Amino acid sequence: MEAYRSLQAIKDGLKSGKLTLSSLVEGYLTRIEATRHLNIYVEVFAAEAKERAKALDEQYANDPASAGALHGMVVSIKDVICYAGHQVTGGSRILEGFRSLFSSTAVERLLNAGAIILGRVNCDEFAMGSTNETSVYGPTRNGADPTKIPGGSSGASAVSVQTDTCLASLGSDTGGSVRQPAAFCGIVGLKPSYGRISRHGLLAYGSSFDQIGILAHHVEDVASVLECIAGPDAYDGTAIPDPAEPYSSNLAFQGPTRIAYLDTAINHPNLDPVVRDRSLHLIGWLREAGHTVEEVSFEYLDYLIPAYYVLTTAEASSNLSRYDGMRFGYRSNEAASLEATYKKSRTEGFGREVKRRIMLGAFVLSSGYYDAYYSRAQKVRRLIRDRTEEILKEYDFILMPAAPGTAWNLGESLEDPVTMYLADVFTVQANMAGIPAMALPAGLHENGLPIGVQFMAGFGQESRLLAFGHYFQNNYPIPDVQTGT
Amino acid sequence: MPYDRYETVIGLEVHLQLATESKAFCGDDTTFGMPPNTQVSPISLGHPGTLPRLNARQVEFAVKLAYALNSRVNPVNTFDRKNYFYADLPKGYQITQDKQPICVGGELPVKLGDTWKPIRIHHVHMEEDAGKSIHNLHPRKSLIDLNRAGTPLLEIVTQPDLRSAEEADAFMTGIRQLARYLEISDGNMEEGSLRCDVNVSVRLKGATTLGERCEIKNLNSMRYARQAVEYEVKRQIDLIEAGGKVEQQTLNFDPATGATSPLREKEDAHDYRYFPEPDLPPVVLSPEYLEEVRQELPPLPWEVYAHLTGDNGLSGYDASILFEERETVLLFEAISPYCANKKGIANLLINRLIPYCQEQKIPLDRFPVSPEHLGAFILLIDSGKVSSSIAYQRLFPAMIESPGSSPEALATSLNLLQQGDDDFLADLVHQVIGAYPDKVNEYQKGKKGLMGFFMGELMKRSKGKADPAKATQMLSEALKS
Repeated sequence: MEAYRSLQAIKDGLKSGKLTLSSLVEGYLTRIEATRHLNIYVEVFAAEAKERAKALDEQYANDPASAGALHGMVVSIKDVICYAGHQVTGGSRILEGFRSLFSSTAVERLLNAGAIILGRVNCDEFAMGSTNETSVYGPTRNGADPTKIPGGSSGASAVSVQTDTCLASLGSDTGGSVRQPAAFCGIVGLKPSYGRISRHGLLAYGSSFDQIGILAHHVEDVASVLECIAGPDAYDGTAIPDPAEPYSSNLAFQGPTRIAYLDTAINHPNLDPVVRDRSLHLIGWLREAGHTVEEVSFEYLDYLIPAYYVLTTAEASSNLSRYDGMRFGYRSNEAASLEATYKKSRTEGFGREVKRRIMLGAFVLSSGYYDAYYSRAQKVRRLIRDRTEEILKEYDFILMPAAPGTAWNLGESLEDPVTMYLADVFTVQANMAGIPAMALPAGLHENGLPIGVQFMAGFGQESRLLAFGHYFQNNYPIPDVQTGT
Repeated sequence: MPYDRYETVIGLEVHLQLATESKAFCGDDTTFGMPPNTQVSPISLGHPGTLPRLNARQVEFAVKLAYALNSRVNPVNTFDRKNYFYADLPKGYQITQDKQPICVGGELPVKLGDTWKPIRIHHVHMEEDAGKSIHNLHPRKSLIDLNRAGTPLLEIVTQPDLRSAEEADAFMTGIRQLARYLEISDGNMEEGSLRCDVNVSVRLKGATTLGERCEIKNLNSMRYARQAVEYEVKRQIDLIEAGGKVEQQTLNFDPATGATSPLREKEDAHDYRYFPEPDLPPVVLSPEYLEEVRQELPPLPWEVYAHLTGDNGLSGYDASILFEERETVLLFEAISPYCANKKGIANLLINRLIPYCQEQKIPLDRFPVSPEHLGAFILLIDSGKVSSSIAYQRLFPAMIESPGSSPEALATSLNLLQQGDDDFLADLVHQVIGAYPDKVNEYQKGKKGLMGFFMGELMKRSKGKADPAKATQMLSEALKS
């Protein structure tokens, strides 16, 4: 069975009678089996997906007009998103066997729109990591080169789309966890504005940064999913009160546009020369196409990572306190007292990276250090937000590489967390400022691995960002590269 | 005696559980006394992926209290997380207000005997309650009930203005009364709706600086609070007199021994790592909203007391009984339009209605007789139409039996109206004089004490309905001749 790479192609297939959802799901299940070595899915809801496909097929046969907006959309969900009656473990031993009692708002709305949820995919433990290697289920591998990491933390979400084991995936993005793996896997990844998609049912990492994101091959499909799952939610007080827009109908791009790129980013010492050249190439193309592209100064780039890690780990240290061995999840058998239960359950239940971040977060909040770390980092965040907003008043978008380089080798960064943290340098700005950002494929590197480019827009400007992304994806002439493998 | 040279200084941290229907940050029911762990949901259990959502009622209740205490209301309210691990704290943190409490300053007038003492309020903040740990039901296990987890609380922190256990007691009584007036809490200490931590220090009388204080935690009855304060004051004075120094610490009170003991050592002091709660956006209270809530404030206890003793001319004793509960005052006010005799209303409430309702275990507003009929009842006595003893012994029970009928109609149908007409009385006088010629003779010879005997006979024959004043007058007239 051929791989369908867009919802439109699937809908056409269904309409012509060439395709049924049952055969579509069978095709995905076959490919899931064929890609087991990549360790994408930690659980496949095979029987349930087949049953739902059959029911939806029957409904469609009786009344094609009754089909939901996402009829034909088969998705995977990152293992940090709750689905009633299904396990959700955050890739952590501490939630071993835990089943959620409720569905996240995003899942609820996907199902209401007629989507099929195929399974739960791997990720870094509690979304903490940039490589998908910190999961209790072991690393996920990049479909472009299984010796490479897929990026993270929504690594398996990206690979599930990349390898056509589903059409789209829900991930989460706290500092680039959707965009960086999308870039490393050559697909599209959107992090909407903070609060655009309800966080109800998303396992919290850094609450003031976390946002559910969407990964797919094409911007149209990202838009179709977003318009179904975005919008206000009584269960999330931080959700944006404005209703979702019909993003997939608003994809006609009205150009030309004004784009800024940051001096400190394009000249960053860690930026891979090939990635830099690709950025310059597409800047050149954009200018030729009639857009204004200008360099602007951004003096806070080096402060992004330190401030981001102080604030997210502080929030994480508190968010992860509920995993205490008391009411659910993993509890150590060794403990004989309340305190020992906490210590042993958490010591045994959490992995190294999570423990590192909990300790870092507890430290920056502790009395005597709060002002020096947490409080200062909040001030830095304010400065970054203000400057970003200022740039986006003058320009429609900020252009930035999605990552300094391409996917690296498995195991390479595990012993050097700070280097791994620094690889988020181009993605955390959008989370610090709460603005929408999207990674788009920009061709291959000489090493044969995908390169991603990222566009950020002003708060709440998803429509504009998606329309521009759609235009870019359909028009940017990806250069031919001699790849030496 | 060294104790007389010292002055006690007390500040309170009062926890008031709000009578909202649902919890502070989720829709769970808050009814007291339900089977353990039945009023819970993924949110109050702190399940992965859950978020708090603000119950607007708790904000309204807090604003009400703020206005009652004459506090400044913070128009922008933020929440913070207080992080600590305990088995009855599902999220591993408590949502509270650390930086921007909803009320700042203000005071509570506290009634001490016949005088009122204003106790200054430092601030009032909103927070959520923890669950309950039960350590005495199982030999080896602690049991956890999370029904209470997430119930909205107000923490009321006073300035160190209280000078004795009695004043602390009076403050708690005042807060309870105010909360009930405002209908924001039942203030029930037995059910844990009202609890306090007590900060106690001592200093030499006349000293201007405060002594080192100790905090006594988790006092759930005023009796324990008093015992704890008394024990602690003595302990601190003894320590100072022996040349020692009081050290700031957190204490536990053991009701079994009546003693306080350190809850934890100083080096174990919690670092709560407060930081802004990222899941709750700031709550901004508009001037219109605040004004709306302010307009809903009922008359406050000290205002009611002044009204009762002032305009209504009641004694301090009567007023202090009547103003205790707002429903008593409401009934007093409801009867007032029908009866100008305020003292009579007070007596009726204090001597009859309150005891009756307590006995029947019904709230005062469920007393079956309408205020109008109660007012008429008092007037019936005052006008002399029914004697006071007949009214209370016979008419009052009849009114409760037939609350729909007016007291006058009931008195008529039961033949209880006092008989004051001349023919009726003249006939009785004639009967009595005729029946006891010897006694009449003795009376006329100067044995005036026999008047009581004649009156007794007359009343007996009238079945108690004779107007005694008139009967006495007619009897003495008749006996002269």
